[in-house]
Amino acid sequence: MTRGRTVVSAAAALVAAGGAIALSALFLGPSAKAAVGPMPGDALLLPADAKFVGGIDVKRFVQSQFYVKYASPQAKGRPETFRELEEKTGLNPERDIDQVVFAGTPPGGAARENAIVVAIGRFDRAKISRTIETEKKGVTSKSVQGVTLYLFDEGQRGASALAFVDDRTLVMGSQAAVEAAILSQSQGGKTLKQNASIMALLEKVRPDATFWAVGDQSLFQNMPKNVPGPGGSGQITLPGLRSLTVAGDMDPAVALEITGETIDDAAAKNLADVVRGFVALAALQSGQRPELKELASAISVTTEANQVRVNARVPYELLDALQPKPKTRTQGAEPEAGK
Amino acid sequence: MSGRPETDTSRPLGLLAGARGVFDVALDAMVWSRRSLLMAALLLLPILFALLYRFVLLAKLPAQLRGVDLYGVIVALYYVRNALPLAALFYAVSLIADEVEDKTITYLFTRPITRASILLGKFAAYLATTLTLTLPSLVITFFLLLTARGFGDVAGSVHHLFRDAGVVALTFLAYGALFTLFGVALRRPVIPGLLFLFVWELLALLPGYLPRLTLTAYLRSLILHRPPDENLAEVFGQVLPVATSLEAIAGMVVLFLGAALWIFVHKEYVLEQ
Repeated sequence: MTRGRTVVSAAAALVAAGGAIALSALFLGPSAKAAVGPMPGDALLLPADAKFVGGIDVKRFVQSQFYVKYASPQAKGRPETFRELEEKTGLNPERDIDQVVFAGTPPGGAARENAIVVAIGRFDRAKISRTIETEKKGVTSKSVQGVTLYLFDEGQRGASALAFVDDRTLVMGSQAAVEAAILSQSQGGKTLKQNASIMALLEKVRPDATFWAVGDQSLFQNMPKNVPGPGGSGQITLPGLRSLTVAGDMDPAVALEITGETIDDAAAKNLADVVRGFVALAALQSGQRPELKELASAISVTTEANQVRVNARVPYELLDALQPKPKTRTQGAEPEAGK
Repeated sequence: MSGRPETDTSRPLGLLAGARGVFDVALDAMVWSRRSLLMAALLLLPILFALLYRFVLLAKLPAQLRGVDLYGVIVALYYVRNALPLAALFYAVSLIADEVEDKTITYLFTRPITRASILLGKFAAYLATTLTLTLPSLVITFFLLLTARGFGDVAGSVHHLFRDAGVVALTFLAYGALFTLFGVALRRPVIPGLLFLFVWELLALLPGYLPRLTLTAYLRSLILHRPPDENLAEVFGQVLPVATSLEAIAGMVVLFLGAALWIFVHKEYVLEQ
């Protein structure tokens, strides 16, 4: 073998070994199910008839400037319920939950009871189960395929359920949806994987988005066809949307990317004009609030074939400026701390 | 009379047999060259960065800077946009130009191999050399960055590794075909090549159909990493459909390589004394 071939063979062996390790991590690792776009594989148990799916990368969100500025305990924006939840169950959502994924049908839809949320993280199952059993009134439980389901208001309209599918996956939502999810896991039933349109939309979303959502055509069936025009002048007919994808990030600025697919190119241009009209309306308010002009200029609307893309990139300085100003203290009043 | 069948040296070898012979000779020369030493430094740089991140920066950087994000930046911004096209330029333009410059092309032409075999063999050696330098670096960087905070991130990003490896190969194939054409068609191909990379390819940042006139727009669309861009790219950056990108790249490779072959086969090389 020539020296050149030896070097090439050594490199090929190294790449093959790397590929083998990566594949074994995929099939044998803790998150063995392959992710689809930004959605973790563990959340694929969501129902096949979901009209929309969305999610938040909690880890990424908690590490973002947004959280640190507005929602962390230091910023005094942390909900009090989080502290109570940690005391009772040992679950600290910011620390223990990695991803939250939700799915369902729009309000008013025929299958409203299909709303379901999957939380992926690390849970003290025993402590959480004990809290549910002792603290909540009207809680019953039953076993479905060996998985304990906690049922809230069983037998009533709007009954909900909660279950641990495994050590990392907590499912909650309507009783019917949670039961169906567990059955689909153990019997290889219909899961989100069988929903080709939602799966295709998920593939298009950046896997590293902090928050995201997708919805297919059926999501928009119940939406209003007309909206009041900018300035209240007449009605604007909204073009039909085929699908919608949303992806956003929190660092280094709050960035949002919305892509809507319409029935044809003309509808896309029409929709883009409607969105531009609303953005321009916001810019017109800049006389009272100059920040609104900056906000409007942070939003761009573009079209490509039958797609409309709305991009917004809002720096934190602008977000701070948009916050309501604290009321000026009346003269002579003593500050609280000085008392 | 010996027992071996006699070879008719008056007839050239078949296309593939000839290309294989040229590949072996060219691979040895290419792998063990000063150019490869320089390109190795360029292409292996991400490993150094990954080591630096893992053993020095990890403790100092904010937790939101995750290994998977840095890996995405390396692939999207460093490899696909800059280092790989540059490596393709410096290797591919010299496949034939070096032989002309060194006045050794006439020796190749005297061998019983077709001109098409020479170009294809050398192009295959270029691909093998560049992939040998880049793919191990990509794999090592992937593992160094993604296992920095534990092995948990690897499973969710395995598809990136395989997809990125495929895009690396396509990048070398596409730019290699174009710069091979530059190499056989132009007398001084490096400057036009640099202008193509750093001026023409900026069309990818513009709106409308202009990005479709570049190579980089198609290649960027094939990877899933979308690190935040600035200025024009942030406003107009487009992601083209995967099928369109693959078709366009395949079409361009066939066109550029076909044109390079046609020119090389028909061109008369007059060496300066």
